[in-house]
Amino acid sequence: MQKYLLLIFTILSLSASAQEVGLTRHRKWYLPDHLKLQFAGNIGFLSGGPGYMSRNQTLETDLLFGFLPQKFGGDALVTTTLKTTYSPWRIPLRNSYYIRPFSIGAYLSYTFGPQFDTKWPSYYPAGYYWWATAFRPGAYIGGKIGRNVVMNNRKRSFELFYELGTYDLLLISYVQNTGYLKLSDITSLSLGVKFGFD
Amino acid sequence: MALALTLSSCDHLFQFNPNQVIFKDSEKNLTAKNLEKLRAIPVGDTLRFILMGDSQRWYDESADFVRSANRQQGISFVLHAGDISDFGLTQEFKWVNEIMTGLKFPYLTVIGNHDIVANGSAAYRKMYGALNYSFEYGDNKFIFIDTNSREYAFDGKVPDIAWLKSQLADNPGKKNAIVVAHVPPFDADFDKNLENAYTGALANDPNVRFSLYGHQHRFYDGEFYDDGVHYYLTNSMGGRGYLIITTWKGGQKVERIEF
Repeated sequence: MQKYLLLIFTILSLSASAQEVGLTRHRKWYLPDHLKLQFAGNIGFLSGGPGYMSRNQTLETDLLFGFLPQKFGGDALVTTTLKTTYSPWRIPLRNSYYIRPFSIGAYLSYTFGPQFDTKWPSYYPAGYYWWATAFRPGAYIGGKIGRNVVMNNRKRSFELFYELGTYDLLLISYVQNTGYLKLSDITSLSLGVKFGFD
Repeated sequence: MALALTLSSCDHLFQFNPNQVIFKDSEKNLTAKNLEKLRAIPVGDTLRFILMGDSQRWYDESADFVRSANRQQGISFVLHAGDISDFGLTQEFKWVNEIMTGLKFPYLTVIGNHDIVANGSAAYRKMYGALNYSFEYGDNKFIFIDTNSREYAFDGKVPDIAWLKSQLADNPGKKNAIVVAHVPPFDADFDKNLENAYTGALANDPNVRFSLYGHQHRFYDGEFYDDGVHYYLTNSMGGRGYLIITTWKGGQKVERIEF
């Protein structure tokens, strides 16, 4: 019940804040700084959700909800992901465009399903399998291009980003098999958009 | 855009989940496809084949195995004794299949405990086919059975003793019956409550002289139950070993090969 109350409260706050005007408006601290939608990247066919930006605008942290339909995945999978990206440089371009040429980040995903474990059942001896199948940590590098815009008298930003990433199980496979595996074998691409409420 | 098109021709460019179960058509239904290839190979009174296993996360070594196996003479096919993958990931199955397709011979598999982890069973079914299956070739009937009892919480249903007995009974030609599985019956991962029924089924069948396994990552063999059935375990790919088995009506020879 508390969850629903929080959700309703959040929606009310969002609609309330939408009525505010002026470029210097302060949003409540708990309202997200941006929304993201991501394609691929081992956290769903599509994933999306809110995120927060650090004060100096270099570190963003997102909570993404991802879905992989049976049609594209061979199994329908729901994943939640906590993801942090560090983009140290911002280069302004003409017409309020900018690029963030380099990003580096890490994530931890959790995939739901009875076939996935966070803790192995008691019928396995301790340490029989050393990894949890529900949690997957990963890392990536990437970049973005963005544009600042003013919509309805409010500052907004759009960004397109790409990320090249891998995750723990592939990385350890690569490290132990550098003869057969190439880095490209364990790397995959994801693409996304970010809508920022600056 | 041109770059994106070039990149997207690569089938693993976009990955949606480590546990996705997506295969190309050429990577599906491989048991049936490889049996078809095998049936095209003529068979004499004596059959020579390779038993290897436990390729899990040993891709470099598995590639070396393929080079070594391709130098062997008179081999009809290769049996993979399970633990094809380490994490039950579709990507791992694909890599091992890519390596094994470098063999000059068709290969067949039995499922290992690591192949059942997460979505592994679904990946195995899609890529290879049934977990329990059999085929006849020359004077031999090969029976592949899932013995990874621990993965099913020792529920008393794995291995499927009734299916094993029916496969052994359905042998009108009295061919050599060769049971192939991943976990040997004396291993702690095999259901203790089914051990006697399983070994008894093999011992009570006059067509069974030996049975083949992986799992323990070592060469090991013996007539462990003093019942006339010889059990052979092959080494892992990490252990850089495999067996060459020669079988004929009434006898077998087993050689240990290190590479």
